[in-house]
Amino acid sequence: MQDTNVMLEARSLSKRYEDSVLALNEVSFTVEKGEIFAMLGANGAGKTTTINIFFNFIEPSAGEARVDGIVTHKDPLAAKQRLAFVSENVMLYPNFTAIQNLDFFSRLGGRKDYSRSDYHEVLLRVGLQEEAHDKKLRGFSKGMRQKCGIAVAILKDAPAILLDEPTSGLDPKAGFEFMQLLDTLRNEGKAILMSTHDIFRAKEVADSIGIMREGRLVMQKSGAELAAENLENLYLEYMAGKTVEA
Amino acid sequence: MFKIIIENELRAILYSPKFVATFATCSLLMLLSVFVGIQEYRASVRQYEASLSLADQQLQEASSYSGVNMRTYRAPDPMQVFVSGVQNDIGRFSDINASEALKLTNSVYSDDPIFAIFRFIDFTFIVQVVLSLFAILFTFDAINGERERGTLKLIFSNAVSRAEYVLSKSIGAWLGLLAPLAIPVLLSLMLVSLFKIQLQPEHWMRLAILLAAAVLFFTFFVFLGVLISTLTRHSSVSFMLLLVSWVALVLIVPRAAVMAAGQIVPVPSIAEIEGREDGFAKSQWRTYEQQLAKRWQQRNGEMAGLSPADRQAYRDEHLWQWMEQDDAARTEIQEEINAFRTKLNEDLRNRKAELQRSAFTLSRLSPASAFQLTAMNLAGTNIDLKSRYEDSMASYRSELIAYGRRKQKESGTTGGIRITIDSEAGLNISTGRDKGTLDFSDMPRFQPPRRSLAQATAPAVVDLGLLALYSLLALAGAFVRFLRYDVR
Ligand SMILES: Nc1ncnc2c1ncn2[C@@H]1O[C@H](COP(=O)(O)OP(=O)(O)OP(=O)(O)O)[C@@H](O)[C@H]1O
Ligand SMILES: [Mg+2]
Repeated sequence: MQDTNVMLEARSLSKRYEDSVLALNEVSFTVEKGEIFAMLGANGAGKTTTINIFFNFIEPSAGEARVDGIVTHKDPLAAKQRLAFVSENVMLYPNFTAIQNLDFFSRLGGRKDYSRSDYHEVLLRVGLQEEAHDKKLRGFSKGMRQKCGIAVAILKDAPAILLDEPTSGLDPKAGFEFMQLLDTLRNEGKAILMSTHDIFRAKEVADSIGIMREGRLVMQKSGAELAAENLENLYLEYMAGKTVEA
Repeated sequence: MFKIIIENELRAILYSPKFVATFATCSLLMLLSVFVGIQEYRASVRQYEASLSLADQQLQEASSYSGVNMRTYRAPDPMQVFVSGVQNDIGRFSDINASEALKLTNSVYSDDPIFAIFRFIDFTFIVQVVLSLFAILFTFDAINGERERGTLKLIFSNAVSRAEYVLSKSIGAWLGLLAPLAIPVLLSLMLVSLFKIQLQPEHWMRLAILLAAAVLFFTFFVFLGVLISTLTRHSSVSFMLLLVSWVALVLIVPRAAVMAAGQIVPVPSIAEIEGREDGFAKSQWRTYEQQLAKRWQQRNGEMAGLSPADRQAYRDEHLWQWMEQDDAARTEIQEEINAFRTKLNEDLRNRKAELQRSAFTLSRLSPASAFQLTAMNLAGTNIDLKSRYEDSMASYRSELIAYGRRKQKESGTTGGIRITIDSEAGLNISTGRDKGTLDFSDMPRFQPPRRSLAQATAPAVVDLGLLALYSLLALAGAFVRFLRYDVR
């Protein structure tokens, strides 16, 4: 809070689901403006749960998530004004064209000043070929839909972007372009929280990396710290049961 | 925010591939039904007018005032184009004369049983069955479909309040489905004026209320769809649930209500009534016979000590009195039996009326019944149609009979063959007057029963209120439920 650059913050976040799975266990981290934080972790480690709490899709059992100092489960609407979202499997409206989908979600996100050319521009920026812009999403591949989802998040122009496995479904070229896109967004001053299984890309682009296991953030290191290390080995070590270093 | 979500919902409906097909089907069906309704109505108008001139012709040929037979038709009403109700099930005309009881016969369905098998599809049926299905088809996945698609999560990643969302979504779906339906409805009304069906302002009022009821009924199913889609996670489940609810509300509840009412208000069968009537008559006659036997015993007792000749004289003297006595007793018994019969029938009618009332009250638990009942009330093709005509025909019959008697007295002749035996003139046979010489110009004509607008619309107030209530309940349910809906 003293640090006015902190955009996203998890404070001892815990979540226990009704069937008593402890999905999150005292997770704490911060993401500053102009910073990318990548969460790694096995399936079921709690990455999606963390992101869901930021959007108040679920409430934390203990602790809190803050967006620009706003506690998400206390004032979700204010928090969500500052958040953009890319889900792991973007579907959007299959009977609408890409542009129509963008238009709806942008206006829902409070942006009513966009023109068609803005939509075209953003779609080109995320790498969706021009001829698809006015096609219905029904015929889109998973990667194409993912690109539309990313475009929706960009258009919202919120100070923080949360992405849940955004590169799933993207081909290598699109994945590469996506990382470049993240880079420019960071340079625009966005705080970016991303969950991913892509260790190499994460290392390449992230300012800070956390590894989650069974609901705990078992490691968090800055990019500089990791530069010299073999992240893959590190990841496997932590997955095997290594605990947080002092 | 409202505007954005409503617009999106409208677009979603219009762009949905199933929309064009279902909408076209509904529209076509509606136009077709109104078209057929118009043809039917025009046919019955022609028949009605023909019957009036036929009656005049028959009067020309009548040979006596009292022997007149007026075949009286039910008057067609343009509202039957939209709501056929029971109008095809009950007789179209009755012969009205002094010798036969009136009886409405020759219903459309009894004349052409083929129509009875498939029934006419009228506007009411289309609203009740087709449009409610149409509403379900487009709303069963209103909420859970968005969840399954992942769009619900994306929507709520924005600063959208749940209350706002569920309300605007419901209203959007409602508008999106209802607005297109205005087209076939308007076309139907145009069809009616194109065929020069005379609609009085009063008919327009009734039509307007009918349309309002249809809108409310449709609204209920739209909101029910939204409600059930908030109660379930998967659209396949909500579709099933909605189909089951639809069957229950449209098909089962109305019939179950009638059966339940039958349990609450037992109505004796005709056989039972006849049995009780018979039983009473038998016991009365037995008493009569016992009393008769007793009387004869007494009479014989009075003559006990007399000689045969005196006995004969006594008998001759009293026989007339005795016969009168016995006659009076018999008449009395007969009257008692008749009174009992009347009472039984009255009782039966009351019970039937009560059964009807409870059945209708219970069946209004279903919006489908509430709509149907109010439609029939508005159109006048409701369950009272038959008794309404029977009552006014019965009073017409008495008028006619009274008229015949009066005219006969005035003209001093009876119809047919008249035989008089006179002690001076002897046997005298005379025929009635020649045909066509009778003056029927002042004969009362049948006036179809009139129902005031108030009578037609009063029951509708309750039903409109009920339909609005059901719709509101469904919407409120969806609202409350969605506040806690897991959007993931
Ligand atoms: N709705 C739920 N009800 C009960 N348990 C849940 C629910 N959602 C998630 N969990 C449990 O919470 C834990 C964390 O799940 P989460 O989805 O956050 O994992 P994740 O890190 O996103 O995994 P993945 O890499 O597969 O996406 C898992 O054990 C999961 O079984
Ligand atoms: Mg996940």
